[in-house]
Amino acid sequence: MPNTTREVAATKATAKYNWFGARSGRAGLSAPVLAVLTPLALLAPWVGGEFLTVVGVEILVLGLFAVSFNLIYGYMGQISFGQAAFFGLGAYATALVCRACQATGEIGYLQFFFALFLAIPVSALGALVVGFFLVRLTGIYFAILSLAFGELLFYIVFSWYGFTGGDDGIQGILSPPFFRDPVNYYYFTLGVVAAALLVLWRITQSPFGYTLRMLRDNQRRAAFVGIDVRRAMLVNFVIAGIFAGIAGSLWAPFQRSVSPSLLGWVQSGAPVFMTLIGGADYFTGPLVGSVIYTALNAYVTRYTVFWPLTIGSIILVIVLFFPGGILSLIDERISGKSRSVQDFSKSEAPESITDGAIK
Amino acid sequence: MKREILKVTGLNKSFGGLHATRDLDFVLSEGDLDAIIGPNGAGKSTLFNLLTGYYRPDSGTILFNEEDITGRLPHEITRLGISRAFQVSNIFSKLTIFDNVRSSVQAQMGMAFSLFRSADGLGNEQTEEILTLCGLLEKRGNIAGALSQGDKKKLELAIALAGKPTLLLLDEPTAGMSLEETQDTMALVDNLNRERNITILFTEHDLSVVFNHARKIALLHSGQIMVQGTPDQVRMNETAQKIYFGEHY
Repeated sequence: MPNTTREVAATKATAKYNWFGARSGRAGLSAPVLAVLTPLALLAPWVGGEFLTVVGVEILVLGLFAVSFNLIYGYMGQISFGQAAFFGLGAYATALVCRACQATGEIGYLQFFFALFLAIPVSALGALVVGFFLVRLTGIYFAILSLAFGELLFYIVFSWYGFTGGDDGIQGILSPPFFRDPVNYYYFTLGVVAAALLVLWRITQSPFGYTLRMLRDNQRRAAFVGIDVRRAMLVNFVIAGIFAGIAGSLWAPFQRSVSPSLLGWVQSGAPVFMTLIGGADYFTGPLVGSVIYTALNAYVTRYTVFWPLTIGSIILVIVLFFPGGILSLIDERISGKSRSVQDFSKSEAPESITDGAIK
Repeated sequence: MKREILKVTGLNKSFGGLHATRDLDFVLSEGDLDAIIGPNGAGKSTLFNLLTGYYRPDSGTILFNEEDITGRLPHEITRLGISRAFQVSNIFSKLTIFDNVRSSVQAQMGMAFSLFRSADGLGNEQTEEILTLCGLLEKRGNIAGALSQGDKKKLELAIALAGKPTLLLLDEPTAGMSLEETQDTMALVDNLNRERNITILFTEHDLSVVFNHARKIALLHSGQIMVQGTPDQVRMNETAQKIYFGEHY
């Protein structure tokens, strides 16, 4: 829920806007969130030991995955239940190159970086093909078809023993010596994820980012201001697929194995949960969601096998009592505003799924 | 003789058994400020939907600046310079007024797919100019979905203007407005036509608005244009009195 005076001040100060738009106030609550998360992320291995280092990599990778999902959900107003397909394609692209390189001895650093990089064109191509069909639909049809394509890709990987190893997956992926140390791999992941998030932030603040918000609010009108709606949806779907693929590529060498479940619907559910927990209306919402979801998962599964029950209860509470997620709850406390404006705008926008405006 | 900006020939559109537009011929000259009137269901909105590419005509041609735009898509037609304001306001309800207009301005500038430039630096002056014209500058930071009905209609017009139109189609531009807002809006419409040389075609139920502002009026009935002419010609026409004014005047 943008603060009116802040928005006015922001637009008046447009002459002084800077590259990341931070000074113009458009970052909203995401600025203090990043101010808290950044030092935590930098210090995690020093404070938390190996356990937190390992969990930290998961938080970063799944956080990037969730932000890529939110490009489709929070910004464009469509929900994808098949985002893991591109996460998995990225992971498999990296794993397959690593396996090929390992066949002739230890993998070199250049080969390793190439393996990571290959996730970009592979996931982009996957998203382009799937997106070509998906962008013809919206709402529940978009969601169901995304699920269907996700399961289709899962099944291809699951059954293609000769190439992907089928349901055995690929084991024993070894990164070069430097990256085998969890702390080194953690900082490497932090660097890649931070760079990816900067690019994503930039995209959300670009004219294209606002094109997405227009599609979210009113697709029909967007066409009547001159926007090629399908093309915009496709471009965004490919961008989201690429960043999901980058997240997947970081996942493979870290887990030292990949399996078809990385493409499955359970994996697709994770970014949905994270985004709902953190808040779809904020750039950093999915990151906050990833911190909570992944950390909880790591601790809860130590003590009980009832992880699905735990996360299910949390989602239930969030959806029932804080539908905007945790950040929206904090935002309301700070700005002292009720949700009345948000609820009003929700009732005015039947074409959209999300509520509230993206900061 | 002024140049023809819009020329519609033999336009037809049916929905199932309903023949909504029937062999319609229509010409709009550059600089015109004309109205289309007609009873509910006469086909006014269908005509606008055909002109802007939302519906594909069954037959007939639409020429805009002598270019055939029949069957083109809405975003293509918009980019050629035909903007449209809707009867029921059709805005981006979670964005601020300013972002509603500026994002539309950026789309007009061809920046809709610009990924890495900052949106904050582009099209601000044009946006402020449009907001000033429409009397929305002071409310620029308000969320569009929470506006009053009258303000939503003003924003509706502002978004249409962001497309830098040479032809502006207004579907009941004053519906739901107070008397004062109606006068302001029609004064703006006159001004856009005179000062900025935008050709305007509007529909309206309020006949006093129609007769005070339109230079030519076309009466649409059952998907056909029955009468066309100056306000006086239409007012005096017997057919017009029978099928339309009879129930109003």
